Amino acid sequence: MSFSKFLDSRRDIVKALIKELSGSFEYVSVLGADIKAKSVRVDRNTSNISSGRDTECGFAIKLSNGRNFFEYSLDDISGDIAALAEKIKKAFDVGALLDDAIDEVLLSDEALKKSFARENDFDSFSQKQLLDFCKEQCAALNAKSEFVLNGIVMLSTLEVSKLFISKNRELDQNYTWVNGNLLAVYKENGKVVQVREGAYSNNIGDVVKKLPTLIDKLINKASKLTLAKPITPGVYDVITDPSITGLIAHEAFGHGVELDQFVKDRALAKQFVGDYVASPICSMRDGAAAVVSAASYFFDDDGVLAGDTQIIKDGILVTGISDLASATQLGLAPTGNGRRESTRRKAYSRMTNTFFEKGSDKLEDMIASIKHGYMLFETNNGMEDPKNWAIQCVAEYGIEIVDGKLTDNYVSPVVMSGYVPDLLKSISMVSDDFTVIGSGSCGKGYKEWVRVSDGGPQLKVKVKLG
Amino acid sequence: MMKIIELLKANEAVSNYKINVNSKESCELFYVKGRLETVRCTDTCDKEVTVYVNHGDHLGNAQFFVYPSMGEEEIKELIAEAVEKALLINNKPYTLPEKAVGEYTVESNFSQFEPMELAKQVADSVFAANNIENASLNAVEIFINKHTERVINSLGLDKTQVKYDAMVEAIPTYNGKEQSVELYQQYNFAQFDRETVKKEISDKLYEVKARYEAVKPEEKIDCSVVLIGQELAMLMRQIAYDLNYSSVYSHANLFKKGDHIQKDIKGDAITITMAGEAKGNIRSSKFDEDGMALGSIKVVENGKAINYFGANRFGQYLGETPTGSLGCTLVDAGTADESVFSGKRLEVISMSGLQVDFYSDYIGGEIRLAYYYDGEKMTPVTGISITGKLSDVLNNIRLSKETTTFGGYIGPKKALVSDMTVF
Repeated sequence: MSFSKFLDSRRDIVKALIKELSGSFEYVSVLGADIKAKSVRVDRNTSNISSGRDTECGFAIKLSNGRNFFEYSLDDISGDIAALAEKIKKAFDVGALLDDAIDEVLLSDEALKKSFARENDFDSFSQKQLLDFCKEQCAALNAKSEFVLNGIVMLSTLEVSKLFISKNRELDQNYTWVNGNLLAVYKENGKVVQVREGAYSNNIGDVVKKLPTLIDKLINKASKLTLAKPITPGVYDVITDPSITGLIAHEAFGHGVELDQFVKDRALAKQFVGDYVASPICSMRDGAAAVVSAASYFFDDDGVLAGDTQIIKDGILVTGISDLASATQLGLAPTGNGRRESTRRKAYSRMTNTFFEKGSDKLEDMIASIKHGYMLFETNNGMEDPKNWAIQCVAEYGIEIVDGKLTDNYVSPVVMSGYVPDLLKSISMVSDDFTVIGSGSCGKGYKEWVRVSDGGPQLKVKVKLG
Repeated sequence: MMKIIELLKANEAVSNYKINVNSKESCELFYVKGRLETVRCTDTCDKEVTVYVNHGDHLGNAQFFVYPSMGEEEIKELIAEAVEKALLINNKPYTLPEKAVGEYTVESNFSQFEPMELAKQVADSVFAANNIENASLNAVEIFINKHTERVINSLGLDKTQVKYDAMVEAIPTYNGKEQSVELYQQYNFAQFDRETVKKEISDKLYEVKARYEAVKPEEKIDCSVVLIGQELAMLMRQIAYDLNYSSVYSHANLFKKGDHIQKDIKGDAITITMAGEAKGNIRSSKFDEDGMALGSIKVVENGKAINYFGANRFGQYLGETPTGSLGCTLVDAGTADESVFSGKRLEVISMSGLQVDFYSDYIGGEIRLAYYYDGEKMTPVTGISITGKLSDVLNNIRLSKETTTFGGYIGPKKALVSDMTVF
């Protein structure tokens, strides 16, 4: 795939609109997005090729008068530009509403003109090939065990083209991502469970190679989970797999260092920059440029180049992640974390690829160090509380550890909760493995969904499970 | 629109088509510490075309979006591509709703206001509630939305509906001597009443003060738990959604028609009706994405699953009468009066998220704020979690006589559940 012809065709008219609006606003930028999301899904009885929920084509115009920001979302920029500019100005002619504005904030607009693209193999795969692949894998999954009630195989592809133009900047980027998922509804031992495995990459070829290798693992896990028991609530020594490690990073200190929360005085972390907030053996980072995963782009939705931000270094909180507006208000350089759910939504400070850095411990030593505890696997969901540092992370399942060995005793689901500093300071071992899981999505509160990844090594922590 | 229809009709391989046109106009205000930071407006329209192709004994379908920039040739190509994709899909045939025409407005008083004026009035109501000493609203986001939805198909269906909704996200904060604490509130409504908005926010400001005063209990709490608002609505919605046609058809649900969801009722029997429309409910619709007129159907009666519900296609696959996509969850009031909720109890005000898992028979989650009534006094508590066996909780649940509206839910205002462990 190459950069959107539609967006290319709108460059000149976008520049004309910026010129027209610049007479009335101190800052004007336009973000154009042409995103094609496709989903191929096959189960035992049905198949579908559909547009994915991320599909969009439109523009977000961002303006500032130095005291307020204004944003206008629309499908196209064309026709009578003077009339469109008047329409936009009229929409923001809200009179006395602007009297009680925020303090002066002047957004930077440093000159830069650049095109970015990440190589991919999307043109090598037709929809028929993807559908045939899903049908084959679905048949293999359903045939694998008599206990599979329904096997489901999905491939979701994303082709992103974005254009950012302001008075001094002109950037464009295109990149891809693909998520492959195997799901099974499985009944054995009188109990029904739903299980999943996933593969992800910016290349379809990687995913279609990996997915078939996960079928045995999926069925084995399903069988074990039909025997899973509820966990006895209590505080345990716990090993987290990279998915749960990533969930902790995301919920504990990811949301808590989104700098728009600092501007709103919504984050307790604001008072702890430079202090120990975690065990000295742990370091944490976030950035669209930090790894290649689901949230890797070249520039953010504010036209700021992607970053790689050290959030925690050896247990000490270093800094946060920001969109252009919040960084400017705090007098900091933006980190390239300004993201929108779509051009129809506002840009906020958002996480991208968030992870703990790997350590030096061996996983087997970590398990061997636990007399009685659990190893937790697979993120179900989590919830942030950046002001009060409460944390809730839900794992799909856990396996009991007894006398330094993993047993065959599964527990499910497992809710991990507690106070963020207690949890992070309890980290006593960090493995030398490192995996980032590229299939997540994240809301801010209960809205503004964006694709994210998270992960890291295995961690040994002490935490409340229920 | 006529051009798209003309082009669809011109392609002989297209057996049927559906066009969904969803327009949205919104006015949005974003406040930081009481001062206006951002004003947003959106004016967008999605046109999604679904092409259906009968081939052999099968029916295939595929979708694409049409954008304003697209010319005739591009749309022709997209139709041809969609036909190709649909020919790859070997699904069981089903029929589309047909021959129905109408223009509707879902009841709301929003139409009486200019959108920006309404946004201002909502903002005034929100900030008028801010009257507790040391409490504030650190962040407030107000969204006023007008949706115009049109469905057209090749079988003579052409329906349009106008719907309104509003969302306020408010972050009540209490700044005390020792610390500053906050709660999260998302309040959705489709009927504007200044005093109701003010009371919603005011109640949260009172609760955030309680969170500041909340303590982690020194001793283990052993009592009944009261679920209210979001958590109770979520529990009931999860029961109902398990009975959706698409879940049933794909074996992704647990309960079958005739199953007792409450197997040994010792409290109140649960009765749930799914409906297309309910006054003031943000999920109200006159018709769904296929254009099916929406009525209502009782899905759970006295604790027993009695009906499935859901959209056209999977309803037909199951040999059921499709009800359409019903968004409003109506739960019958219970028998519990205030005396039931007056004993020793833990009243949950805010959670990180109630986890409900029918497969694992699990219910639980972390509590951000609860009121613990020990029989004599009330103490705000935090830093605790609850966990229990879902089947036991449902068997013993007591539902209040008093009802409330929360998002897409209308039903008992609170529920008393026993058999939960507080830890």
